[in-house]
Amino acid sequence: MNQLLHPGRTTAHNPLADDGDELRFCSTCAFGSVCLPAGVDKTALRELHMLVEHVGPYHAGDHIFSVGERFAAIYAVRAGMVKTRQIDDEGREQVLGFHLPGEMIGLNAIHPEKYPCAAVAVDTAYVCRFSFPALATLATKIPGIQQQLFRLLSADIGKAAQLAGDYSADERLAAFLLDIAARYAARGFAPAEYRLAMPRGDIANYLRLAAETVSRVLRRFQDHGLIRVDGRDVTLNDQAALRQLARNIPHA
Amino acid sequence: MPLPQFDSAIILRYDVAGPRYTSYPTAPQFDSGFGEPELRAAAHASNEDPIPRPLSLYVHVPFCLSPCFYCGCTRIITRDRGKAVIYLEHLYREIELTAPLFDRDRPVTQLHFGGGTPNFLDAQQMSELLDSLSRHFTFSRDAEREFGIELDPRHCDGDYVRMLAANGFNRISVGIQDFDPEVQRAVNRVQSVEQTRTVLQAARDAGMRSVSVDLIYGLPLQTVEKFARTLREVIELRPDRVACYAYAHLPERFKGQSQIDAADLPDAATRLTLLGLTVRMLTDAGYRYVGMDHFALPADDLVRAQDAGTLQRNFQGYSTHGNCDLIGLGMSSISHIGASFSQNARDLISYYAKLDSGRLPVARGLALSDDDAIRADAIQRLMCHGMLDIADFEARHHLDFGVYFAQSLERLRALEQDGLVALDPARITIAPRGRFLLRVVAMCFDAYLAQPAPSEVRYSRAL
Repeated sequence: MNQLLHPGRTTAHNPLADDGDELRFCSTCAFGSVCLPAGVDKTALRELHMLVEHVGPYHAGDHIFSVGERFAAIYAVRAGMVKTRQIDDEGREQVLGFHLPGEMIGLNAIHPEKYPCAAVAVDTAYVCRFSFPALATLATKIPGIQQQLFRLLSADIGKAAQLAGDYSADERLAAFLLDIAARYAARGFAPAEYRLAMPRGDIANYLRLAAETVSRVLRRFQDHGLIRVDGRDVTLNDQAALRQLARNIPHA
Repeated sequence: MPLPQFDSAIILRYDVAGPRYTSYPTAPQFDSGFGEPELRAAAHASNEDPIPRPLSLYVHVPFCLSPCFYCGCTRIITRDRGKAVIYLEHLYREIELTAPLFDRDRPVTQLHFGGGTPNFLDAQQMSELLDSLSRHFTFSRDAEREFGIELDPRHCDGDYVRMLAANGFNRISVGIQDFDPEVQRAVNRVQSVEQTRTVLQAARDAGMRSVSVDLIYGLPLQTVEKFARTLREVIELRPDRVACYAYAHLPERFKGQSQIDAADLPDAATRLTLLGLTVRMLTDAGYRYVGMDHFALPADDLVRAQDAGTLQRNFQGYSTHGNCDLIGLGMSSISHIGASFSQNARDLISYYAKLDSGRLPVARGLALSDDDAIRADAIQRLMCHGMLDIADFEARHHLDFGVYFAQSLERLRALEQDGLVALDPARITIAPRGRFLLRVVAMCFDAYLAQPAPSEVRYSRAL
């Protein structure tokens, strides 16, 4: 990916997981931590790596998988942003989540063996594809993989609960900004400065707010010095104040 | 910013042809590969920022009642006021097609009418046009909004100015060029001080926030003495802003200019003296040199924005509302939406034809690359603030300045030898004697100048 940069550019706008190799995962990968501490032998590790396939680039709007498609793999975002979404009976889109580099998608398809949602690139995105039958077989050999899968699954279930309550627009947006920051921080990226690549309509949809409300609240946050927004780049200037606003939302 | 230092020898040495950088990339780089689908996509994307930018509307009225011979604007000379009726029908159609592309929660904080001669439209036409714009877009109610119009005082009276104020305009810009009768006859624009005073006074009485006048140096028959008289008369009128442009004689490009006898044009030395005189007289009278062709009183928004570091450069020169998406309406208008520039058809026949078939009248444009946007920011900072902080710039654009701009820095070092800029590891600063040669500094960052220019590009000279 670095060869895409003009000489002198130090990083791309979107953080990219550094590329792994045969024995090393991208440092951001959800599976990166599995093997090393567990002391997995190199043959097993090599096997795990061999079932990982680098896919992309996907461009904004491209599907990584679609609703109802037969479940065959889970994915990890390598670069860019991916959103998951469902279409309700009236044909309206419901955004389920945004996935950053290092995060997994497709976990919720394991049981029905069909993807219950679609995964769509928000901007130029690259992903790693983990063929699921192969991963499941390997999991029986490497206990660390099994445990990591369970961990990822339970974290995924907890995520959706966050917005179900009766929260104000300020609370939702403060929690949303902090959540993205925490997820970037968890993967070693700068937490206070990031790019919101998704359209504001998607943020609004995800938070169940009107697009104008999203902008109005963000502008007010900006006027009060909590954040600074420049195009799609956001800087969190006062995380303490945002946490205070979001204090009623669990896990915020 | 340091006070400008007028150094004739240096200015003369750098009197080279170059763009004025009201945009980067400059208009000659626009091409017909950018059309309606690209413009729609740019508008759609611009609605989707977390906080979408406010809007700036530019409305072009291309008609003039008589030709001023120096003029290089896209305009149509006619005494047939009926032409405005057909034009307005199409302009309304364009407004109806364009406005829905932009979300209604994006306020119009800047509106500008240019020409041609915007006051070619009569009072009723102007009121109706304003009414249509305010119904299709969301006009800001903020006192800081800037609604301006260019006026030709020869065809304008106090009532017209009061009508404009009642319709929300708070800024006027008035063409003068030169008050000397001989010069005025030579350029076919005879306009008395009194006519000008009437319009300016009416604007002030109507509570307008700022009045601005345009002058031109380098016109036929201009002399230092006569231009000094014009400047004294202008200073007495006390406009908030004065723009003094250099006349560029390019009759092969602007046909109207062939009416000017090249033998009547002041020579290079005189032009330089005229510029020096303008700078001295205006600054002595309390005006601040903002940059390029622009001067303003210290209390004016332009100077305050420059002091606050919020000044921006755009198609109107300098602006306090630069952080807007600019929507150009009317024949030949330029839009700047998100990372794109686009321009409407430049003649009435094509402009009307596109609208008659239900299409947006865009004819050409450009989607900015990352590199374009980075260079545009560098040019913007130097032209508006006279300074570029390297660490800040590197953080903003994720780059190593010394590597990314190795070529530009090499060119700048030559300018540093002549005292136009100061380079140190932390910043690039425009030196006092470089303030009149901003475009020469900007040219160091222009990636397109190194390439063969598209055909028919002729830039006017820096001086």
